[in-house]
Amino acid sequence: MRTLVAIVGYRNLSDFSVGPVLLPALQAVEWGPGVDVDDLSYGPIAVVQNLEDRPLYDRMIFLSAVVRDRVPGKVYRRRFDATPRTEEEIQARIEEAVTGVIDLDNLLVIAQHFRVLAPEVVTIEVEPLERESGESFSAEVSAILPGILELVRTEANGGSTSSTVH
Amino acid sequence: MCFRNLPVEFDSSGTPFLKGGIPDPYNTATNIVSSDSRKPLTHDKIKELLARNGYIKNVDFDPVTRVAGALAFHAVADLKERKIIDVNSMATLFRGYEIIMVGRDPMDAIFITSRACGVCGGVHSTCAALAMEMTFGITPPPLGVVVRNLMLAMEFLYDHPLHLFLLAGPDYSETIVKSTNPEIWEKAQTAEAPGAATHGYRTMAALMTDLNPLSGKLYIEALQMTRVAREAYVVLGGKYPHPETIVPGGVSTTVTPTTFNLYYSRLSRLFDYSKKMVAIWDDITEFFYSCNPLYRQVGARTPSMIDVGIWDDPDAYDTTYKNCNEWGERRWATPGAVVDGELKTTKLQAINLGLEEFIDHSYYEGWDGQRFPNDPLGAPLSPYHPWNKVTKPKPTGQNWREKYTWSTAPRWDRMVTEAGAYARLWITAAAQKIPQNSFLESTGSSMKILVPRGELPETEMEWKIPSDWNAFERNRGRAYAFAYTCMVAMNDFQRAMKLLKQGETKVSTKFEIPKRGTQIGVGFWGAGRGYLTHHMVVENGAVANYQIITPSTINAAPRDPWGHTGAYEQAVLNTPILESFSSKEDYKGIDILRTIRSFDPCMPCTTHMYVEGSDRVVTREVNTCACGVE
Repeated sequence: MRTLVAIVGYRNLSDFSVGPVLLPALQAVEWGPGVDVDDLSYGPIAVVQNLEDRPLYDRMIFLSAVVRDRVPGKVYRRRFDATPRTEEEIQARIEEAVTGVIDLDNLLVIAQHFRVLAPEVVTIEVEPLERESGESFSAEVSAILPGILELVRTEANGGSTSSTVH
Repeated sequence: MCFRNLPVEFDSSGTPFLKGGIPDPYNTATNIVSSDSRKPLTHDKIKELLARNGYIKNVDFDPVTRVAGALAFHAVADLKERKIIDVNSMATLFRGYEIIMVGRDPMDAIFITSRACGVCGGVHSTCAALAMEMTFGITPPPLGVVVRNLMLAMEFLYDHPLHLFLLAGPDYSETIVKSTNPEIWEKAQTAEAPGAATHGYRTMAALMTDLNPLSGKLYIEALQMTRVAREAYVVLGGKYPHPETIVPGGVSTTVTPTTFNLYYSRLSRLFDYSKKMVAIWDDITEFFYSCNPLYRQVGARTPSMIDVGIWDDPDAYDTTYKNCNEWGERRWATPGAVVDGELKTTKLQAINLGLEEFIDHSYYEGWDGQRFPNDPLGAPLSPYHPWNKVTKPKPTGQNWREKYTWSTAPRWDRMVTEAGAYARLWITAAAQKIPQNSFLESTGSSMKILVPRGELPETEMEWKIPSDWNAFERNRGRAYAFAYTCMVAMNDFQRAMKLLKQGETKVSTKFEIPKRGTQIGVGFWGAGRGYLTHHMVVENGAVANYQIITPSTINAAPRDPWGHTGAYEQAVLNTPILESFSSKEDYKGIDILRTIRSFDPCMPCTTHMYVEGSDRVVTREVNTCACGVE
């Protein structure tokens, strides 16, 4: 079983930076065999090309902050909806990707189109509260950081079924 | 005579001076001479036409897709006469880097301004490094200059295919042409492609089919080629975009013969690609002209262009403003200003003196005073010059008569110019100052480019300064600029190997930033899309003023104090409507889109912005790439 644990996000953007900030902690975890931890916070096309060079993963777990109009300051677990996207949507996301936008949904849609996603993809998503430029998290997100790490670890070790964890 | 409109003359030794006897020499109430002949109708007239005539249609693209960042464009089309009667180009985001930089350590400019764009990943950090080199007198060693050239050449080799095949290319694809001009698609079925031996497509229809987004082989190939260029950049720069190895005085990377060979192994893969790219865009351009000669009018403008050059000669570049004319003319891309097709100057000082930035139709307020009446050599500077400009954002309601964009209106000699990879090529071809070398020859009316053998044979191509300047020639010029850039990189590769052979390994110079006094400097450089400058003022060790002018600021500019439209606006205003449509509801605006995209716009990204007092909302939320506005 090969598992990829990846973070996606911009730095210095308060709650939006949850992935990059937690990356060192994830890298410090003593993972079992077959688990890779990676920072995929760069152009989705380059990410696709990077993943094309590796044997296909069995599972992928992405940690990022994403606005989906849920209760902010909480973390959510989602299974990636692999329904094929329209050509227009894929094309629009590639346009954004090649012009410099880093975004979890863009990455997932583009990676799906180029067939580099694992059969099972889970996203651990923080609904951001504080969205301004800055190095610190909102109090709510700060409070759930240990829980986020635990959730990622649980996922990488076999999975969870709950949709809202903290 | 260099300037038509500015009150600056040159003495017999070429030293600029302010014309005497003019009470307020930079007053914008003074009339100017301009080639901008076609003006939009007045807003009152347009309002009346819209109300009276069913065939007068507002055409709004918000956002304009397949460009980098958030650009909106408003046009009014007369669908009966098949012409455009009003235009407004809108940068919908405040960039703000000029304000972020004030009060900071000058070194921050490299990392902060780099984020002005997410696609031009290394040009801003390099331009900031050059600004500091001039400001503080830091001269890089020869190998540092050459490595920087190699990195920045590769950045353009990453950038141009993206535009030609992912952003602009689809406009000429089967999918689009079939729906907008079925008669052209019909002709394409049997039209033979003259470049078949190079690109492999027997008919234009086959070529256009492979331009289709997502499924077309040329689209997919361009994505793959970005990897080759990115890898080459990373071999030298460690990271792309936003390299962390760009420093004033060179680069902070370790280079060996292996590094350069790794770079070359990728560069050489792009040689054949350049031949193919040129053949494809030659064929597309000539095919459309043959279908309808009016395509020569799509995106047409009087050729007035500006560029500050790029890729330094390590034997000439000493970073000083005093010698900028000399080292500027020794660059692989010659600096220059072209007005009405005539090369007016190749001197960086004259280009700098001619720069002004106006905010009459932008969301800013004016500034008082003029901190620097003269440049460091004592030549006169306008109060609107970037060294004197102060960025004072003032968002207001959108009003076509007053203010409608975050882009300023940069002008040279008070005239509308455009920037682009093609401007770099044009000026270098016309100037005949390119250093002696085996691969590039500037003839005064063309650029000859000799691309070495790969799987395809050695090829000599020649880009000729076109008689018509339009959307097609911008794309064709960009394709030739790809081949030209390959050969600049080849020259620099050879120079790097020669320097290594001579025992040169030093790539940077130690420096200290003075903590006292006032210093000024400017980075003269280029982005994939052309012209780039960073003007810097430092006081007591901190940034006191920082002004960035990007190619898209120049191209997306709004009207100026004299009412002259910006480059996008002019080009769209001159565009005939050649699209086939049966009703105004069916009209897609492809000719306008081809025109705008031919400039390779790179605009602000972080949007979700509501303009108070209007109904305009940009709905995509993105986070980088803001080089078109401030």
